Amino acid sequence: MANSKAVFKRDPGLQARMLLTMFLLGLLYVGFAAVLFAANTGAVVMAVVIGLFALAQLFFSDKLALASMGAKEVSPEEAPGLHAMIDRLCIQADLPKPKIAVADTDVPNAFAIGRSQKAATVCATTGIMRTLSPAELEGVMAHELAHVKNRDVLIMTVVSFFASIAAMIMQFAFFFGGGGDNEDGGLPFIVVLLASALVYVISFFLMMSLSRYREFTADRGAALTTGRPSALASALMTISGAMQRVPETDLREAERMNAFFIVPASVKGSIKTLFSTHPPMEKRIERLQALEAQLQAA
Amino acid sequence: MGFFDALLGGGKKLKTAAPDRLFAMTTAYVAMDTELDMKTTGAAGIVFQPLATSDFEQILRDTQELLAGTAEETGTALESSDDEHGYRWIILRDPDFEDLVVAMNTVSTELAAGGYGDRLLAAVFAFEQKGRRVHFIYNYKRGAFYPFVPSGGEQRRDSEAEMRIKAQLSDEGIPFEPELTRWFPLWDIPL
Repeated sequence: MANSKAVFKRDPGLQARMLLTMFLLGLLYVGFAAVLFAANTGAVVMAVVIGLFALAQLFFSDKLALASMGAKEVSPEEAPGLHAMIDRLCIQADLPKPKIAVADTDVPNAFAIGRSQKAATVCATTGIMRTLSPAELEGVMAHELAHVKNRDVLIMTVVSFFASIAAMIMQFAFFFGGGGDNEDGGLPFIVVLLASALVYVISFFLMMSLSRYREFTADRGAALTTGRPSALASALMTISGAMQRVPETDLREAERMNAFFIVPASVKGSIKTLFSTHPPMEKRIERLQALEAQLQAA
Repeated sequence: MGFFDALLGGGKKLKTAAPDRLFAMTTAYVAMDTELDMKTTGAAGIVFQPLATSDFEQILRDTQELLAGTAEETGTALESSDDEHGYRWIILRDPDFEDLVVAMNTVSTELAAGGYGDRLLAAVFAFEQKGRRVHFIYNYKRGAFYPFVPSGGEQRRDSEAEMRIKAQLSDEGIPFEPELTRWFPLWDIPL
């Protein structure tokens, strides 16, 4: 069974860019950690406290996210079609069964959360279930399962750890007004503050680009699981079309959840690619079409 | 799924099918029949994702022809149908359980040889026990079986009966799926 038709070629460019991004983030964070230690002030203590917060976040964020979306876990009796679809995708992707939730909103979207494959929850909105055809919905759910399989929530939480420390230090700076004269021989607080600002800005852009790479990979994973790249491409087109038509209030409400969504809630052109968690829709569809071409040519 | 696979967003292909253990059913069937009064319904099915590629249909046709050839000796009947989830079933009918397993193996090896082994979702054997339907589902990716007993009504299953069956057959050499979270149901099995 070594030969297999539905194998998509590796995307070495994407993987190289992803590795480079992670390497740069790692480098940045190592440097930042060095500054924190050199400062020899409360910064290390703060790092530990924030570390605990991050850990707590990893454990409870899924419940918070679900609650903020008004999503409820559904049993197989309540959503038989969705459960049956995900059961089959899980067999195909070799994943344990995640929890399944449904959010009652017209915004057509879906997301996956949870720190591990076993503790994962995938959520679909009632809007997306109404809007998409079964094959399209299957593509979207396969995309979310690919996020679970790739442990994207864990990776993004770990990656954002130092960025949140930097953000915290900057916030504290307002309260303490650059206090903490370095009597104990550490770095002056202003250095720590500047380093924090720098880390925060740079890591923000790196994290956004990493997030975009993860989206491409999840699209790819979905295509692999379903064998139907075009169904996902068509789903993306349908969703982005519907997105621009849904009521404004719902969009604003959904804005916070963007990072987890299949499609960001506010789709307005794509000038601000650098600031966005998702690649532009056209790019994603383009790549899915390339996968379909590979599949047909095999 | 290694660390780097996760870091780089997954491997380049689906997990290929585990070594074929369908024949484990043949040996276990003796005990199922005599000790548990679990009789074959004479039907079994293979469910997979039909790909919309040009050679896939051809491979399916070749497989059906191959089976039709051997069916003259064994009398195995074959039909195929698409279900509401977009998956295709190849359904085999043969009152002789051993022939049934052989035919199931032929279909899965043919699909795998054609390069579509990773599209195989599951193989399902149907049994009748005390007037109730019992399914044995083989997960190709995991190379493992699990019992599936629908209990009537919308998406209800009798987990107690399933676990009991697993315990009763624990010495019969069936590779059972150890994780209960992977005992995925398949509703509306067309067998």
